[in-house]
Amino acid sequence: MIVCIAVVGHQNNPLYIQSFTEADDALKLHHIVHCSLDVVDERVNNPKKSGPMLNETFLGLLYPTENYKVYGYLTNTKVKFILVTTDLDVRDADVRNFFRRFHSAYLDAVSNPFHVPGKKITSKTFAERVSNIVKSVSFHTTG
Amino acid sequence: MANFLAQFLSIKNSCERVVIAVEDVSDLWPLVKKGFEERVPFKRSTLNNKTRNPVFVDNLPAEFILTTDARLRSRFPQEQLLFSFREPYATVVLVTCEDLDEFKTILKPRLKLIVQNDEREWFIVFVSRAPPHNDHATKMAKKVYAKLEVDFSSKKRERCCKLDINGPEASFWEDLESKITECVRNTLDRRIQFYEEEIRKLSEQRFKPVWSFCNFFILKESLAFMFEMAHLHEDSLREYDELELCYLETVNIAGKHRDFGGMEHGDDEAALLNPEKKPLTQIVQDDSFREFEFRQYLFACQAKLLFKLNRPFEVASRGYSFVISFSKALALHESILPFCLREVWIITSCLSLANATAAHYSNGLVAPDIEKEYYRVRGELYSLCRAKFMRLAYLLGYGSAIERSPVNSASLSMLPWPKPAIWPSVPSDASSEVLAKEKMILQVTPRVKHFGIMRKPLPLEPSFLLREANRRRASLSVGNISEIFDGRSTFMDGSGSHASMSRTNSTPGNFESSIDRPMKLAEIFVAAEHALHKTISDPGLRASFSSLDEFEQKYLELSKSAAENYHNSWWKRHGVVLDGEIAAVCFKHGNYDLAAKSYEKVCALYSGEGWEDLLADVLPNLAECQKILNDQAGYLSSCVRLLSLDKNLFLSKDRQAFQSEVVCLAHGEMEHPVPLDVSSLITFSGNSGPPLELCDGDPGILSVILWSGFPDDITLESLSLTLTATSNADEGVKAIRSSGATILNPGRNTITLSLPPQKTGSYVLGVLTGQIGHLRIRSHGYARGGPAESDDLMSYEKPTRPILKVHKPRALVDLAAAVSSALLMNEPQWLGIVLIPINYSLKGAVLHIDTGPGLKIEESQAIEMEIYTNTSKNADGLNDKNNASDVIETQLTLKDGSIALPDWASNITSVLWVPVHAINDGLARGTSAGTVSPERPSVVDGLRTVALKLEFGVSHNQIFERTIAVHFTNPFHVSTRVSDKCSDGTLLLQVILHSQVKACLTIHDAWLDLQDGFAHTGQTDGRPTSAFFPLVVPSASKAGILFSISLKTAITEDEAKLMNPDTILHIRYKIDGNRNLGSHTPMSVGTNGSGGDATQLLTFRSAIVLQRPVLEPCLAIGFLPLPSGGLRVGQLFTMKWRVERLKYPEEKNQDEVQYEVTANSDHWMIAGRKQGHVPLSIKQGSRIEISILCVPLAAGYVRPPQLELPNIGEANISCNPAGPHLVCVFPPPLSSSFCIPA
Repeated sequence: MIVCIAVVGHQNNPLYIQSFTEADDALKLHHIVHCSLDVVDERVNNPKKSGPMLNETFLGLLYPTENYKVYGYLTNTKVKFILVTTDLDVRDADVRNFFRRFHSAYLDAVSNPFHVPGKKITSKTFAERVSNIVKSVSFHTTG
Repeated sequence: MANFLAQFLSIKNSCERVVIAVEDVSDLWPLVKKGFEERVPFKRSTLNNKTRNPVFVDNLPAEFILTTDARLRSRFPQEQLLFSFREPYATVVLVTCEDLDEFKTILKPRLKLIVQNDEREWFIVFVSRAPPHNDHATKMAKKVYAKLEVDFSSKKRERCCKLDINGPEASFWEDLESKITECVRNTLDRRIQFYEEEIRKLSEQRFKPVWSFCNFFILKESLAFMFEMAHLHEDSLREYDELELCYLETVNIAGKHRDFGGMEHGDDEAALLNPEKKPLTQIVQDDSFREFEFRQYLFACQAKLLFKLNRPFEVASRGYSFVISFSKALALHESILPFCLREVWIITSCLSLANATAAHYSNGLVAPDIEKEYYRVRGELYSLCRAKFMRLAYLLGYGSAIERSPVNSASLSMLPWPKPAIWPSVPSDASSEVLAKEKMILQVTPRVKHFGIMRKPLPLEPSFLLREANRRRASLSVGNISEIFDGRSTFMDGSGSHASMSRTNSTPGNFESSIDRPMKLAEIFVAAEHALHKTISDPGLRASFSSLDEFEQKYLELSKSAAENYHNSWWKRHGVVLDGEIAAVCFKHGNYDLAAKSYEKVCALYSGEGWEDLLADVLPNLAECQKILNDQAGYLSSCVRLLSLDKNLFLSKDRQAFQSEVVCLAHGEMEHPVPLDVSSLITFSGNSGPPLELCDGDPGILSVILWSGFPDDITLESLSLTLTATSNADEGVKAIRSSGATILNPGRNTITLSLPPQKTGSYVLGVLTGQIGHLRIRSHGYARGGPAESDDLMSYEKPTRPILKVHKPRALVDLAAAVSSALLMNEPQWLGIVLIPINYSLKGAVLHIDTGPGLKIEESQAIEMEIYTNTSKNADGLNDKNNASDVIETQLTLKDGSIALPDWASNITSVLWVPVHAINDGLARGTSAGTVSPERPSVVDGLRTVALKLEFGVSHNQIFERTIAVHFTNPFHVSTRVSDKCSDGTLLLQVILHSQVKACLTIHDAWLDLQDGFAHTGQTDGRPTSAFFPLVVPSASKAGILFSISLKTAITEDEAKLMNPDTILHIRYKIDGNRNLGSHTPMSVGTNGSGGDATQLLTFRSAIVLQRPVLEPCLAIGFLPLPSGGLRVGQLFTMKWRVERLKYPEEKNQDEVQYEVTANSDHWMIAGRKQGHVPLSIKQGSRIEISILCVPLAAGYVRPPQLELPNIGEANISCNPAGPHLVCVFPPPLSSSFCIPA
């Protein structure tokens, strides 16, 4: 289950953060997303480590913790997408696919002439589209 | 083969070093032993690794063992093969012999016997005991050694070396070492090959039922151990890695049930770094090993090698991933393992890894990025350990001591509860403990955040523990019961109201009997405590759970270690966030100073990147610390930051509380004014639209929009804004103040500020400062047309759009005379002054008029003002428009020399008509026609000046001064000539009237008052025929009037007294002019209206000089021709005049003339007498010549020197030529003196 999806600007400021948990615990997801920026920073600043990932937008698994997984995606404009999921058995291809769809939704949202670049995304259409994507995606590959 | 395992292990444990066998043929070992053993470990040796590549090994340890030693004897051949790693790697044969025959007969056969075994790597050391002075013995030894070499060395391989005990031996030891190394290398190669072959064979059988992992393990580990002995750690590590892979593959084969292990006491303590913790024989099971112990064993072996390779960072990183993967394996078997063994194991393994790596690690030895990575992994280890530690603490009921922060919530709320098969139940004798726990639960008071902020606390549990624990109790049905208790556990969430309910349910003694009754929370805690006590074997860890204080101490220690390590890595955010957790503990213990510092770091991190939700969680804590520490400035700034966060993050009640804190402090106990930056809270911007434009020197009113982020109205006692000049940063920072207090409503406010005159330039808003009580607020926040958007990180950028433009000084108004032509002198006239505002309002302007000498303002007359209609001159469209509208005329009066201009004239060009009167006391003088006379009145005589000073602008700050010149003139200029001289002595005097004004003049009457010596002929009044009048003289034209006069011969003395010396011409005329063009009818005449034509006529008088006829000439002067070659500059010549007497006047008895030569000294240099007397005969026709030397000084046409006769009236001199003339002077001849050709 995807518990959180976030868009983080190139100055590491949150542009959009949406959690999909029922409990009122969005703040911990904020924390997870914020801390995972450490990993993104590390990968971006250490090109040696990332190696062949240089031209790849999909950053892969950022955070192998026991209980949840954090995936990252970095656009050309250094906007980061962070995904937190509690599914522990996830195929990279699925996540990649999810991020592509999310990216196109994001592009549409920021192409809105009323959106100020670098400001929070407040579009309801975007939120709706994101929740549709999240609903439609299931990472359960092995049941 | 499994039975070999025990043997293998014992052999392995007894074997430490590479063994080198010593075959002491000639009983020499005691003699050389010391020398040999001094050589180990071998300093430099090169061995081959598994891939046959040479590897440099320093300090290869080895042990020399005599072949007769028990350790090398009595071994079975099979054993020797399988455990060949312990067999000697080289055999050194020690021999000595001093006799050739003895060598041949005894030694050689014996040696042949020894070395015939091909398996061995051997070489012979010949020890020469010959003393150095004994030549014979030395010679013999040499011979024997030579023979030895022939017999045993081959071309391929040297197998002999010689040790001279009594001689120099330097080269021997090197030789020995290299030979030993060679042997070891060869043996090693062979044995590697053997093991590899065996392993390969075994691997082929891998999927057959006969295959045994134990055998594979023995071979693999033998090889690995051999590598390790040979200090080829890298290869050894690789063997262990392969072994681990293979093991994981076999262990994961489904269908084969195996014991996992981990059930024994002490298993909770990780054996990650101690391969010897449990002998392998104890964990062997069905030809394989128990996973729990064996995987740890393998990791321990790897770690040992990595430490030997000096790579502790790799131990850490491998260790972390091992812990994670092993934790998964533990999770699979959690139901059979002791309660919470998984958590305890993770805690101990993380701690042991962290400690061991720290012991082996020293900074700066590896590349910085490896170091950073190392610290990150350590941070991860501590952080993982911390999470598990918190989880266990929660199970024991210490949950209330754990801060419900995002970081703790993130690591705990998604971490599932332990899943034992049966949740532990309460031991029967634990009623007092349950009571104690209940008491503890009751004592917990939920911490209320500062400002009374009520927030739903974040969860620390994946689901309610009460429900989970009871669900896991086998005897209870799932669901129903737990529903009942849903509400019960909420007291952990901070609302203590339910605690009393749970208390009523748990009267002491109630629970013992009912094992099937759902457990209460306190019981769960006690049960968990007992179960954990059984699981945990480490006394230190057990102690950490023994009390709340112990727990907090350990918790703090773990948090600090994790944070510290993260700070040394790339993961700064992780570190800072943990600092916040440390701060929470510090706060709880009253260490507010430390807490504030840490909280500040966390807040800086969150606010720096705009994570407001997280900031809103921490900032109240910081504020509370600051308040306790009495850090007013910090506290205020925290309040301001809280206020400037997104409005949705707090209830309006909370926000009001923040504001009231600020206001209360501001008006309260503060002693000194405290500066406070409110940039994020109060922002300002100029009005949308164009900037306010001001002319230089003008004050203005500036309208500024302020956005207040305060939830309620706030009163600023003072307010000022600075303006910054965009062009010149150094100069123009000027503050403008608002008068009085300003009340800011939440949201948008428009305030107006009066602006004093500013310097030229464009200005942007700079800084807003204000005062609330003792608080000096300051804001740099510039809003771009909207409220401060709190998510905008870069909102402090300077505004680029100017709010105010002050133009360069320019002409704002112009004053000019309306007409350029002359006005009538000595008559009241309208002086027109054109007022031209140049895109600037003249509202309220005052004009000061100061007339110069010879001009006065007719005070009796009102000043008139009207719109200037001269469109030909002024192409301004504004005036065209005004032409169409009604002409406005206003009558103004002069007060103290100044006039206030009417409002209608503020923006349009207008003309001011001022009645003036120019006075000229002198009488106009006529001239004689045809001559250029200096007596003609100069224009300057008629000029009058008027100094004008216009004060205008908003506060009469603009001043424009101008002096305009007005030209006054008489209506006519009179010139006369005698047009005819009649034979009867009548002279016809023609008086020519030149009109001087731009108006039509009508002459109604004219007469002459003649001077002495003249008389009118005919009529006596001196008037021409009246039929001439009225005579119309248009502007710029001439008219002539003829008077006939005659010379009066006799003049009586009376007459001479009465008569004027000058002839006066009187003219009565009328003027018909327009004041817009020039001269016009004097207004006093026009306005009087009384009287007939006669009174309207103006009078003009002009004096005319009539000269008596010229007398007979007496002398004639002419100058003689100049030199024919012309005059040149610098060339001397003589100027000559001839004076001839034409007639001798009887009355003057003079026979000499006085002369004077005048010349322009710039043009001429004169030598000789310039003045003097020369005799001239009184006879008619007598002549003299006057000469003088002259040098011309300038080239060109110049006036020659003149000869004058001062004693004789001009009327008596006839000049030839009559007038002055010019002579031509050439430039000086070229000088060639400097240009002589060589």
